[in-house]
Amino acid sequence: MKAFITLIVVIAFISTGVAQDFTKAMATAKTAYGAGKLEQTHFALQQAMQEVDLIIGKEVLKLLPPKMDAMDIIAKEDNVASNIGYVGATIHRSYEKGGRKADISIISNSPLVAMTNTVLNTPLLGGMMNDGKTKTVKVQGYKARLEKQAGSTNDKNDYELQIPLGGALITFKVDDCTDTQILEFAETIPLQKIAKLIQ
Amino acid sequence: MLCFLIALMVTNTASSQGFLKKLKDKVNKAVSKEVDKKAGIPPETGSGNSNSGSSGNPSNKGGGGLSNTAPPDVKAQMAEAETAHAAKNYSDVRYSLQQALMGVEIQLGRQILKSLPASVVALNVDTLQDIVMSTQWGWSNLNIHRVWKNNADKQLTITVGNAGIYAGLAALYFSNAGMIEANGAKQNFKQVRVKGNKAIIQYEDSKGYTLIVSIGQTSMIVWECINFANEQEVMTAANTFDIDGIKKMLGEQ
Repeated sequence: MKAFITLIVVIAFISTGVAQDFTKAMATAKTAYGAGKLEQTHFALQQAMQEVDLIIGKEVLKLLPPKMDAMDIIAKEDNVASNIGYVGATIHRSYEKGGRKADISIISNSPLVAMTNTVLNTPLLGGMMNDGKTKTVKVQGYKARLEKQAGSTNDKNDYELQIPLGGALITFKVDDCTDTQILEFAETIPLQKIAKLIQ
Repeated sequence: MLCFLIALMVTNTASSQGFLKKLKDKVNKAVSKEVDKKAGIPPETGSGNSNSGSSGNPSNKGGGGLSNTAPPDVKAQMAEAETAHAAKNYSDVRYSLQQALMGVEIQLGRQILKSLPASVVALNVDTLQDIVMSTQWGWSNLNIHRVWKNNADKQLTITVGNAGIYAGLAALYFSNAGMIEANGAKQNFKQVRVKGNKAIIQYEDSKGYTLIVSIGQTSMIVWECINFANEQEVMTAANTFDIDGIKKMLGEQ
């Protein structure tokens, strides 16, 4: 609980800084544009965009559940990075309890989405690429690709779920679990709210 | 390395889509043939102008096309971004910023076009083929395109652009002479300099000369020269361009 409160305080503090940066970048952009300096305007607008991506990432972190089953947030692994001009923001959160770990990664404007969508929506291709370890599932009405991976021991498995949301890709990975468990955990991620923010 | 991997994946996706389209066309063609045979319809000879496609749909013979809309109003988009930001509507902030960026890029592209010479090695500009393209990805897909030609099939095309994704790969060519010299016995690909900038020149019988100059961190100028007499003529043409001016407008060092 203490870690969670610290996390909220840190996010709130960083968000204030980011809001100021956005305002500053917009002021620079407007001044540069007024002076006909197009390249400087462009750079300042990119800076503003970067700030917005960071804000969006932090808002998404706030939406993610504070616990994943019995696993707690690893606050120091919360991460939001903006990659302007190529992919939007990369958002990451981890959960852990008793050696079991879960990871959520969200890449907005991900170039990998086209590939995942092709597999999900082309039964022929999905069939050809199916090695018996992947299957198509639905999570909260969204199509997703579930992949079984080798676990920490021979009798255990890790699972990875890829959910394309418009131009974004959510990757959810849980160690040592079953396919039913990962799908149950995925139900606690508010996909619709996240989609609304990042699209 | 990451850029390369992602570029590869994007290419793979594009090629897989291309493959699927080809597959679909082939299947359609084969099915139509079989249906025609069963219905007793004689096969098409392939010559002559057919008014309909293999699926029976009429072919399009022309239309008004799309009208050119004005580029986004940068000031209005910046104001909208600020309003949306105040309302914490971040998805709309992003959209408005993208529109503003596109507006700036198109204005910048037009400025660069204006700075290009009206005539190059006795070839005249064909402004009808001018293109300024921005794809909302913030600089990485800004492309400016202009053509000069004469009546004797001689043509020069210039493309000024930013190739964010390929920049790393292109840098390999500019910095690794050994790699280029290893291209077979006949050298049709070599390094040169244009006004002090590193460049590569390539010759192919089917395409003519291609000269690529790397400017700054990620921008490039490409000249495609069709029916030019020799390498010297290509270099003379390239030297008539104000490369430093373009570099400055793009904000490259």
